[in-house]
Amino acid sequence: MLSKITVSPSPHISKAYSTRGIMLDVIIALVPAMVMACWYFRAPAIILIVTCAVSCAATEWLCNLIRRKPDSVNDLSAVVTGIILALSLPPNLPAWVAVIGSAFAIAIGKMVFGGLGANVFNPAMASRAFLTASFGMLMTTWTVPATIDATMPVLSPAGADAITQATPLNWSKQAIKGKADAAVVNEQLMATVTGSVGGCLGETSAIALLLGGAYLLFRRTISFHIPVAVLVSAFVFAAIWYFADPTAYVSPILHITGGGMLMCALFIATDPVTAPLPVKGMWIFGIGVGMLVVLIRIVGEYPEGVMYAVLIMNALTPLIDRFCKLVPAGGKTHG
Amino acid sequence: MHPPENKLTEDSQIQQMPNPKLVSVLLGQHIGAVCSSMVQKKDKVQFGQQIGQAEGFVSAPVHSPVDGVVRDIALQSHPVLGREMAVIIDVDAESSIKPLPNGQFTADFDETAFSDKQIRDAVRQAGIVGMGGAGFPTQVKLEPNPQTPKEVLIINGCECEPFITGDYRMMMEWTYQVIAGIKLACRGAGCPTVRIGIEENKPEAIARMAELLKQCSGAGNMEVVPLKTKYPQGGERQLIKAVWGKQVPTGGIPPMIGVVVLNVATCAAIADAVVNNAPLTHRVVTVTGGAIANPGNYYVPIGTSVQDLIDHCGGLTENAAKVVMGGPMMGLAIADLSTPITKASGAITFLTEETITKAKYERRQTACIRCGRCLTVCPEHLNATRIAHAVKSDLLDVAQNYHMTACIECGCCSYICPANIELTGYIKTGKILLARAKKRMPK
Repeated sequence: MLSKITVSPSPHISKAYSTRGIMLDVIIALVPAMVMACWYFRAPAIILIVTCAVSCAATEWLCNLIRRKPDSVNDLSAVVTGIILALSLPPNLPAWVAVIGSAFAIAIGKMVFGGLGANVFNPAMASRAFLTASFGMLMTTWTVPATIDATMPVLSPAGADAITQATPLNWSKQAIKGKADAAVVNEQLMATVTGSVGGCLGETSAIALLLGGAYLLFRRTISFHIPVAVLVSAFVFAAIWYFADPTAYVSPILHITGGGMLMCALFIATDPVTAPLPVKGMWIFGIGVGMLVVLIRIVGEYPEGVMYAVLIMNALTPLIDRFCKLVPAGGKTHG
Repeated sequence: MHPPENKLTEDSQIQQMPNPKLVSVLLGQHIGAVCSSMVQKKDKVQFGQQIGQAEGFVSAPVHSPVDGVVRDIALQSHPVLGREMAVIIDVDAESSIKPLPNGQFTADFDETAFSDKQIRDAVRQAGIVGMGGAGFPTQVKLEPNPQTPKEVLIINGCECEPFITGDYRMMMEWTYQVIAGIKLACRGAGCPTVRIGIEENKPEAIARMAELLKQCSGAGNMEVVPLKTKYPQGGERQLIKAVWGKQVPTGGIPPMIGVVVLNVATCAAIADAVVNNAPLTHRVVTVTGGAIANPGNYYVPIGTSVQDLIDHCGGLTENAAKVVMGGPMMGLAIADLSTPITKASGAITFLTEETITKAKYERRQTACIRCGRCLTVCPEHLNATRIAHAVKSDLLDVAQNYHMTACIECGCCSYICPANIELTGYIKTGKILLARAKKRMPK
């Protein structure tokens, strides 16, 4: 018999998934990129990914302890932050720097705002910006993948050190300055698709990222709006320069496959916490990110613009949300 | 959105429920003014006798479903209002029992034998209200409106709520009575056309209604419209949009755009009321859910308690955890099993512990991660998370800025929310707080 009746507001059934499920989906989607990172960069990659994931989770646990809040490590969002942070770090970064970065990402990037769902900036990108400011040298030193010979001539653009200047985006920066030929850089396209180039851990292999992104879209963990907006706007924007001067500016396709653009479009800009809610807002946000990335890459001083582009658009998210207020199905008036 | 349909009682024929020993006929079973009692303690009442007087234009009288003696006129648990006055009747052992429809309606039913005025009067006197759940007095909907002529009568046969099958069974078994009711309602309201919206997950109902309509005389203006199966397709505003392509304005009601919407069960009641002068004393109730021994569709005296229905249906299972008046998406969980069936209760769903409880971790409400799923599923294009958080922070003006009162409370946002936030619950609370603030509702 009925000893106890539960009373609650309707509905009385719910879909069987959770925040944890969403985070787990993101982790699964990042597996191809992690595998490729480990394949190309070997032991340092594994060390970095594990260090970041574990220290992010540990920081979350510690923060909850200090705040006297229920433990939230279980929702896996800290692990996702850790993995994304690791994948956007250079492979040769010492593990202790990664620990500092992870602690910053969770403690300052997320928990001081109130924890999951309350942060203004993407924690991984905030932390990366912090690391770039604090450890500038370490954060811009690139090792080449273990699978290719570092002395291969194509990897040594005019007068540059093959070890420290190995990313395609660095070359394209050189090309803009007239120190390299954009056409030669464009030949790296295939390498950026497979990932056999220098760069951040998880950002080198376009194919692995696309695979993960396809999984997220298939599972409807993310909607297509932000990735499409980022990629199309970046492509169109980069194409303007390319067609103006193909010798100085690399092809827009390389802008998409090279550097962190795909990582950004599929995994970073789609972070729901720091992106706008309404679809119209998602388009504005995505277009803004795509344009800013290209603008920073081409006009700015940095070869890569993902981090600052995302942070800038994160800051604009509340404004975009307010600007794109939804109109109810029956029109605006209400009685 | 597609919550699991769980139509357990799809193939259960509508069965008669015997009279219980006691009925509690609530005096407020509809939207609008509560009735005043016309009987006193110890009065003898007869089956069909009016016992509650309608107060005002938007109101509906209530009638006794049994022969018996008034035990008391007292407060009784009410599924919507919490507590409300009810006429409590001890049922005579030899009380007459309202039989199931006996097939008196056929294809040649001629509604022109009744004038539109006659129809509206009969509907008012029978105390018919919207039987789909809201309980809005039907004669008010039928009343002519000189400003906006009525364009169409839309019959709601969607039954998009999971578990509920009463309307489906009525369309299958009482088809001619339902069609007769539609014809009468159409004449009573003066609508030139009729559209019957049925979801595609009920192909037999679509086929049967369409086929029998063809055989009926004077049904040339009537048409069955198969609708995509999705929740909440049967929401009045969603139904009108899907069937007639028109959008009811925010804060508005269907008459503003010349549309009348009636539920299948209401139509069956109209036929009974107009032709047989029978007041609304019984209704089809789907007794369903995983926690009841014998689920089924029953023709129940209005005023029967939930406990009596449980006893009639073989009792509850061990793991029963929640009793819901209505379906699992919009129904109201009740705390008192003596709560009586009202004119608007189309179903009672008994949910098991397993159904209402997900994994232990997931049960806890977690932080909103702004995933936006509540925006994607909202049929009214509202920002549920913003409204809910505004209500939580006691910022009713902000909530209203996001059109809180446009919410139809379908429950999609809460259903989909991965953080287990009771978004619909917050919005409902916000609406009540707002109404109180505007002093529309007593504290």
